[in-house]
Amino acid sequence: MRRQTLFVVLGLVVVLLVACKAAPQVVEVTPTAAPVKLVMLTHWGEESVLKPMQARLEEYMRLHPNVTIEYQTVTFDQLLTKITTARAAGISPDVYHFYNLWLPEFVKGGMLAVPPEEVIADIKANYAAGSIQAVTYMDQIWGYPTEINTYQLIYNKKLLAEAGYDKPPETWDELKEMACKVTQVDASGKVTVAGFLLIPGWDSGVVHPFLSLLWSNGGEYLSPDGTQALFDSPEGLATLELQMEMIENKCIDLGISWGDFPNGKGGMIIMANWWRATLKDTFLDGYENVGVAPIPHGPNGQSSTLQYNWLFGVDNGSKYREEAWKLVEWLNTPAKEGEASPIGDFLTSALGAIPSRLSDQQVLADRYDEFLQAFVDSAAVARPEPVVPGGQEVKTTLQTEIEAAWYGQKSPEQALADATEEANRILAEKR
Amino acid sequence: MSNRLRVLDVALPLARARRRLLPRRVLWAYLFVSPAILALLLFTVGPILFTLWVSIHNWNLIEPISQMPFVGLENYRYLLTKDAVFMRGLRNTFIFTICGVGTNTVLGLMFALLLNTRLRARVFWRTLFFLPIVTAPLALGMMWAVLLNKNYGLVNTLLGLSGIPQQPFLSSPNQALACIIAVAVYQYVGYYIIIYLAGLQGIPEEYYDAAAVDGANRWQSFWHITLPLLRPVLLFIIVTNTIGALQVFDIVFAATTGVAGETSGGGPAGSTMVVVLHMYNTAFKFFRMGRATAMAVILFVIIFVVTLIQLRLLRERV
Repeated sequence: MRRQTLFVVLGLVVVLLVACKAAPQVVEVTPTAAPVKLVMLTHWGEESVLKPMQARLEEYMRLHPNVTIEYQTVTFDQLLTKITTARAAGISPDVYHFYNLWLPEFVKGGMLAVPPEEVIADIKANYAAGSIQAVTYMDQIWGYPTEINTYQLIYNKKLLAEAGYDKPPETWDELKEMACKVTQVDASGKVTVAGFLLIPGWDSGVVHPFLSLLWSNGGEYLSPDGTQALFDSPEGLATLELQMEMIENKCIDLGISWGDFPNGKGGMIIMANWWRATLKDTFLDGYENVGVAPIPHGPNGQSSTLQYNWLFGVDNGSKYREEAWKLVEWLNTPAKEGEASPIGDFLTSALGAIPSRLSDQQVLADRYDEFLQAFVDSAAVARPEPVVPGGQEVKTTLQTEIEAAWYGQKSPEQALADATEEANRILAEKR
Repeated sequence: MSNRLRVLDVALPLARARRRLLPRRVLWAYLFVSPAILALLLFTVGPILFTLWVSIHNWNLIEPISQMPFVGLENYRYLLTKDAVFMRGLRNTFIFTICGVGTNTVLGLMFALLLNTRLRARVFWRTLFFLPIVTAPLALGMMWAVLLNKNYGLVNTLLGLSGIPQQPFLSSPNQALACIIAVAVYQYVGYYIIIYLAGLQGIPEEYYDAAAVDGANRWQSFWHITLPLLRPVLLFIIVTNTIGALQVFDIVFAATTGVAGETSGGGPAGSTMVVVLHMYNTAFKFFRMGRATAMAVILFVIIFVVTLIQLRLLRERV
């Protein structure tokens, strides 16, 4: 009886193993004329950007009748999960648009296909050094740089004018003074308008503005080789203390965040250019009252800012790698001289982002409004977010510790010391 | 002696025949249950074994499984000695479980007792309590995140109209977890009311009549009749609610990651971080599947031990 049970269970295990045997990772290169189905994944799923992107893909399919494109979108917070789980399940999209901070893990996992020579040559010839650096990891370019995002001080012109200011702050001292003067409190002592807004809960929302201020005070995030965290320096401490001082003086209310800025409940905030579309649609006092200025600088530095990039890459396991690269190349290359590339046009008109391709920046310059132009100008002083293994985890660690200080759970010194210790451990482990 | 031999003569061929027949019957039985066994192996036993296997490796979910480095118990050591977020998640999960299960158990019983009386519009009230159960937890979490918003939430508007000071709710590290517990109770108490009601309606009315004849008041009837006879129901509610509460994720995720899911969740300042949310972030955001699966194993052990203790404590008296 026991032996029979054993045989049956063994039989089932064999069936299970056969069923679970992974499909061979043979990559066939399909002739161009044969029908090809490509799956593309991005986080451009909102109605305002979905249709413009679909229109461009339909154009590609019209020009290439043998190609069918399945366009998938997820929200930004789900993008990484979708890419990694699809990869683990063996159903990776052929093309994905992703945040360059994820490059080290993607490269380490052998997930990305090396671009063909002509793509690499095109990128080297037509993109700024910063954009090329942003899509390069371990001396290899991994895809087409697309949108550039930088951070700037975005302010409510009307609220600043009501407080007696006709121009935004340029230094930290001015920022503190103006933030407190813009702040409005009701009879019960509740802050109704916060002079300056922070973005708790969101790693990029906490860390990117912090780094923009840190770099504008002469501080450093990581060592040049990316192996050491340096944000517990005196400059780092001064940056956190700047925020703490405004919190303690009630010029920042942690309950009033970036979502309240369009409603006129915040005077100033440090945010990225991709926010433009939202502000244009929802800013209560009218989009013309949205001002953009360089990041105020600290006593030890000059105004600087953080830049991060996105790129289009092709999955290494794609059955149609060649066709996938052709699609990506078409999207990122102008059809004629003097025209914008389909992606450049999409980024500027639909998303309100800055395209990476230099010719797109020139051709589309007349479409930049005052808001976007300020961000384009900021690229001159922008520093790319370091792309290192464990970068995402270091960022979340720093966010957690900064928030611990904001909410009074730790002193700024302790928070930065703890963040540095943990970040160094992560960097050492992931090296 | 001869009789005994005769018995053996008959018994031996019968036993042989049974041995011949039994395997065929057993094989048929196995054939019929094999789809279920296969499903169990594939979707339950397989993943559990795989989780245990991954938890002693470093795996980033992208690299082939064959290439993941073996790290022994390092993931467990790190979680139990160095991961402050995990420890905080455990603490918050226990607070959520104790408060959530306690409130659901008591509140559910109170409402069930009320709904078991000749209350007017009883069906309406039962439906009202049960409605949150049929709502997706994610939708509910997002809805409450808006209702409890410090600046424009309906709850604060109502508090303001009543002259009560407005509260930061989910924006405050001191109030956020309590808000999450309240939302979870709001969602699940209706389910436990229905279970309690089933239990209450199974208690024969004669017991109460006899107690009334003996002069027992309402409290005495409840204490000496209702509660002892509801113990199997109590056991079911406490055990299942505890298992669910220790695995809480969806409500916390929905209520603390922002309407567009833009934040990492568990905030503000980690005050609502729970084990499963940290597990999710560790696996899918930090590319540390090994460590995340180690968390799953630790949580499994905790749930197993807690359930055993509950069964031991409550079953003896049932």
